Amino acid sequence: MKTKSTREAAMRAIIELAGQDERIVIVSPDSLLASRAVPFLERFPDRLIEVGIAEQNAVLVAAGLATTGMKPVVISYAGFLTMRACEQIRTFVAYPGLNVKFIGLNGGMLGGEREGVTHQFYEDVGILRSMPGVSVITPADAGQAYKATKAMFMREEPCYMRLGSGREPEVFPDDTPFEFGKIRVVKHYGDDVAIFASGFIMNRAIEALELLKAEGINGLIADVSTVKPIDSETVTEILKRTNCAVAVEDHNIYGGMSSAVSEISSLYHPCRVIRLGLNDIYPRSGHADELLDAYGLSVQSIVDGAKKAMSK
Amino acid sequence: MTTKELKQMANRLRMDVVETIHHVEDGHPGPCMSIAEIITVLYFSEMNIRPEEPRWPLRDRCILSKGHACPIQYAAMARKGYFDMDELKKLRKLDGILQGHPDMNKTPGIDSVSGSLGNGVGIGLGIALGCRMQGIDNFVYVIIGDGEQQEGVVWEAAMAAAKHKVGNLIVLADCNNNQSGGKVTELSSLYPASEKWSSFQWHVQEIDGHDVEAIKNAIANAKAVTDRPSYIECRTIKGKNIPYMENNNAWHKRVPTKEEVEIARKYLGGAV
Repeated sequence: MKTKSTREAAMRAIIELAGQDERIVIVSPDSLLASRAVPFLERFPDRLIEVGIAEQNAVLVAAGLATTGMKPVVISYAGFLTMRACEQIRTFVAYPGLNVKFIGLNGGMLGGEREGVTHQFYEDVGILRSMPGVSVITPADAGQAYKATKAMFMREEPCYMRLGSGREPEVFPDDTPFEFGKIRVVKHYGDDVAIFASGFIMNRAIEALELLKAEGINGLIADVSTVKPIDSETVTEILKRTNCAVAVEDHNIYGGMSSAVSEISSLYHPCRVIRLGLNDIYPRSGHADELLDAYGLSVQSIVDGAKKAMSK
Repeated sequence: MTTKELKQMANRLRMDVVETIHHVEDGHPGPCMSIAEIITVLYFSEMNIRPEEPRWPLRDRCILSKGHACPIQYAAMARKGYFDMDELKKLRKLDGILQGHPDMNKTPGIDSVSGSLGNGVGIGLGIALGCRMQGIDNFVYVIIGDGEQQEGVVWEAAMAAAKHKVGNLIVLADCNNNQSGGKVTELSSLYPASEKWSSFQWHVQEIDGHDVEAIKNAIANAKAVTDRPSYIECRTIKGKNIPYMENNNAWHKRVPTKEEVEIARKYLGGAV
């Protein structure tokens, strides 16, 4: 499958936005290269604030900048941001509701793949989802990351966007829209089962839907690209039609999108929701596709999950 | 304000704190007393602020990184006219605007959330950079404790601030050698602190933190240094000017009785 970098796509959007708004600045805890920000630095040399390998300080500096009316974005690896600088995000950005954007790289197993557990992050969405006042966006490919970046900067509030390694499968046509806070049904063959998916495993979810169709099970795929605030109305509508679902994400099964879908189900339409993700264990280094296959996110696992959801 | 008036104001603010904490039955009096002169000089002499327009974009900023000492900042702000003195009686209460630790949205004139220790210097650096980028000619003051310098993020910020040559950032360190659990020198090895800041390429001064003239002079010196951030080590006494509180860490967080309030009033020169 063709891949395209979500990191480059997001940076392209930031550069375009920064060309129109001189208050947009990048705060970099030595993430210039990882975030593909060299073209930004070349074009706006005074607007990339390098603070060295110091994520906590990067978030504080961004908070301070935001109090003066600047529009900072902090880009770093997802875990270094959401775990090492967790308290700074919560207390100094989310609590006062400052207009700071966060972009977390290497989201999921797929993001960190061969680097191993220290550089794979499957807790970020859950951590931030538990924090009042932070929106969480999980694009599925580069095209969506570009549009999500633009949508994120339209909002004057703390937002987090999860990106990957830079080798994400291209799943959606370029003209696919992104609407903040809305779930989009990507494919709809029938109401036998719903597959809720978010992030860079969308290609696997789509493949699973096609396999199910070949077996006579006609389901649908819903792209949950905004995990918080989640579009609970659409989740409920879908569950009312299908009465069962499988929720798939490259994240620990606790705290992420699948937890959010289960919470909505328990409140508005109780039914079986199978959660597929990392099963509360630490994986290991490996090629991205092999890792996902080994740790419960193979296409077959999604197919099996869907069947399990449908079984009474 | 004259030097004499500033000294009187510092004691008046101390008395406000004693009365406030007695009234609301909660708070940290000891840590307030050691920064009384620092807060007084900033709010009543040095800072270019508009209490009637708390978010005036060109204002100087004050971040009380050791946020647990906020009662004395609140007292100064009330006396400057940011809000009514009666608000002090609602400190830490559900219907008040004064939180247990500073909140920039609930209290007019507070420039940042603070109180989780170690974070003020980084916030101050961000504000200093943001103001400089927008051509705002102002100063950002950050008051930190000595104990809180045990937090690593202080040094992340110190390193980055020197690199960015933020001459508009002035850190005043309240060095009373006390922290919640005991003496700073016993719990960790901060001192000599000024040598550390110096090696981080900051402009460093050491002064008596209860001498209002010395504080004013040090700030003037710091303002004159435009290519480096400034660290002013203020040697202070926790609980200063109230004998039963001085250097007695039991007063880190404790509520004075009615009798203790009156004793404090006697020692604070009947300034209130």
